[in-house]
Amino acid sequence: MSTKERSEKKLLGKSARAGLLVVVIAIVTLEATSITQYIYSQRGIKEEASQRAQSELQSATNRIMDIVNQAEGSVNNSLWVAEWCLETSPDSLVRVPQRVVEINPVVVGSTIALVPGYNKKYPLYSPYATRNLETGEIETLSLATDSYDYPSQEWFTQPMASGEGYWSEPYFDEGGGNMLMTTFSMPVKDHEGRIAAILTADISLDWLTELMENTKSYPNAYNTVTSRNGHLVLSTNLEAQQSGNLDTLVYQAPVERTGWTLSIVIPEKDLFAGVRRVGMVVKILQILGVVLIIVILRLIAKNQLKYKNLNTQKELIQNELRIGRDIQMSLVPKTFPAFPKRTDLDVAACIVPAKEVGGDLYDFYIRDEKLFFCIGDVSGKGVPAALVMTVTQSLFRAISSRENSPAKIVASMNDSMAEKNENSMFVTFFCGILDLVTGQLRYCNAGHNPALRVGVSESMVVTGTTVSQLPVESNIPLGLDTGFPFKEQEAFLGYDDTLFLYTDGVTEAENATFELFGEERLETTLSTKRDAQGQLEAARDAVNNFVGDTPQSDDITILVIHYLATPAKQERRLILHNDIQQIPQLADFMETIAEEKGLDQGLCLSLNLALEEAVTNVILYAYPAGADGLVNIEAVLREHSLEFIITDSGVAFDPTAVPEADTTLSAAERAIGGLGIHLVRQIMDEVRYQRLDDKNILTLTKNI
Amino acid sequence: MKITIETTNGTTTAHLEGRLDTPASTEVTPYFDQLQEHADGTVILDCTELSYIASSGLRLFLALRKVSMAKGGKVIVKNINDGIRQVFMMTGFLNMFEIQ
Repeated sequence: MSTKERSEKKLLGKSARAGLLVVVIAIVTLEATSITQYIYSQRGIKEEASQRAQSELQSATNRIMDIVNQAEGSVNNSLWVAEWCLETSPDSLVRVPQRVVEINPVVVGSTIALVPGYNKKYPLYSPYATRNLETGEIETLSLATDSYDYPSQEWFTQPMASGEGYWSEPYFDEGGGNMLMTTFSMPVKDHEGRIAAILTADISLDWLTELMENTKSYPNAYNTVTSRNGHLVLSTNLEAQQSGNLDTLVYQAPVERTGWTLSIVIPEKDLFAGVRRVGMVVKILQILGVVLIIVILRLIAKNQLKYKNLNTQKELIQNELRIGRDIQMSLVPKTFPAFPKRTDLDVAACIVPAKEVGGDLYDFYIRDEKLFFCIGDVSGKGVPAALVMTVTQSLFRAISSRENSPAKIVASMNDSMAEKNENSMFVTFFCGILDLVTGQLRYCNAGHNPALRVGVSESMVVTGTTVSQLPVESNIPLGLDTGFPFKEQEAFLGYDDTLFLYTDGVTEAENATFELFGEERLETTLSTKRDAQGQLEAARDAVNNFVGDTPQSDDITILVIHYLATPAKQERRLILHNDIQQIPQLADFMETIAEEKGLDQGLCLSLNLALEEAVTNVILYAYPAGADGLVNIEAVLREHSLEFIITDSGVAFDPTAVPEADTTLSAAERAIGGLGIHLVRQIMDEVRYQRLDDKNILTLTKNI
Repeated sequence: MKITIETTNGTTTAHLEGRLDTPASTEVTPYFDQLQEHADGTVILDCTELSYIASSGLRLFLALRKVSMAKGGKVIVKNINDGIRQVFMMTGFLNMFEIQ
């Protein structure tokens, strides 16, 4: 198994564990919520059931009391008739129960039972009036039979004993109407206050059964009525009542006077059926939720794996870019101070790429006491630019190792790069060769920013430093056109002069308000004398301060060359054939020197004259007539002197040996010749002749 | 180097223009020969446009002067610049010519 697979598996395992944890937490939370909800809803349902039962019991009790009151009323309202009959005509006592039944529909039967022995004529007397349920007529029969023995019946004994009204235990009347009955009995007292008889009213309890059956709040709920002695009077569900193995909730209410107890019995199963149904639905939803969570987690884990892969790839690319950057940086010299043993030169440089890899480059090295250096900027950014940069850097190293002319180096590099430039990438490039002995700088600028020269003010009045751009020819950048004739230029560096080379990342550094750093700011920054590193840091700090927090948009590269030698000389050379027609070239030669040294026109003309006279001598006399020969003229420019060294391979001739012309002579006396060497002597401070290696060497020196 | 010669009322004027260096001197020698023919009169060398003179040029001046002296004529050098004046001084020519 590969490392990648292993790490993927590990990652999957990790996310599976995390996923499991999430699922467990989700289940626990959901379960706790539903249990809580269940408990609370149970409580609520119980409360609601209780309220419902109470109100039903209340209404049932009210109905019962209504009938009880009617029954009691029917008896009580007939008491005075019973008393009156007892007093006046006991024979008419039979009218009393008839009347009770007659006027009270709830009363199905009534009797007035005389206390045995109270009336001599009727020792046992109990006429019973009852309503015929079919005809509705009132029939009367006697309860004073041998078989019945009414004085021993409960309905008789109880009120006799207490002297108050009494409700009998409900009973099932098999004889009368085959129905559940109850009897209210009341003692009837005579004027002496003795109990003379008991007046009763029988009430059918069919209505109670009906009432109880109509009071049914839950499908399996049932109601019961129990008597004062605890006997079950009726139950709407006798079966359930008897099995009694269900969890039930029982609500009860007492019925006054009768001593009954009404009960509503609700099986819990019934009560909580709704909650349980809701609970089931919740359970199903929970399971669905958990499944959904698992599915989502799986998707997330898969995505994470994808992102992880992406991140790994990104890291790989980043890592490769870092390596690329290291390789790039290894191509440019970056140990500073670069030449710790040299006192005549100090170089500092830096590249700050905008991305990991950049398209800027610089290079420098010393060969034959000459500093070869370059700076360049590849068009575009990133990896393509970086590749071109490495090519450019390598080409410079390779070509400059055998070429001594910046223009030739640049031309050669350009040809190599333009030949196979399918992507039209180009490089702005500045190549220079600084002669460390003479301070002569030859350079070729291929479309790059002109280098800045920081030098001491040439004015005698103004002291301080001056910053100026090196004059640059309009050469095209590298890589665009093979065979382009690059033009080379020349300048001379003096002691303490600094060359500041940079890429446009410096001048085009942008701040938050899209302002460019610009050349003016750069030149202001450089207008103080510092060492190379100091100059570099000053520029970099100035750019950083200017830019602030704005992200860098382009590579920033700086190369600073601080020239610290007192150049022995600056050399210029001119080679002429021994042809008098080449003399005018001397004028141009001299003019360049005069410009460089800042000589006035008069002195320039004088020096030109001296040079011409000396060179003319060589051209005219050094070589045999018709023979081709060369005159080598070197000008050495020192700070306070100018030296011309005129060398030829002709016959030995010492002009200094020619006698002085007498300028005091009149025109008539003056010889036509001899003026030339006279002028040379006059103009120059020193004229020296040497014969060395079969060569005439005439050295003319002028102090300035 | 350019030279134009004009003669009015016995006075010959040569306008010298440019640099009178060694090759130029050879070039203008025929003109100076022509001037020598008028050397009995007054010859004016107008140097207003002359910027430079080498010893070969000076020799042409000197030769003309010598002929003029021989013929009893007169050579006037006009409007020389500072550089040329310096050369004239160094060579003693200031004494030999009438400078205007």
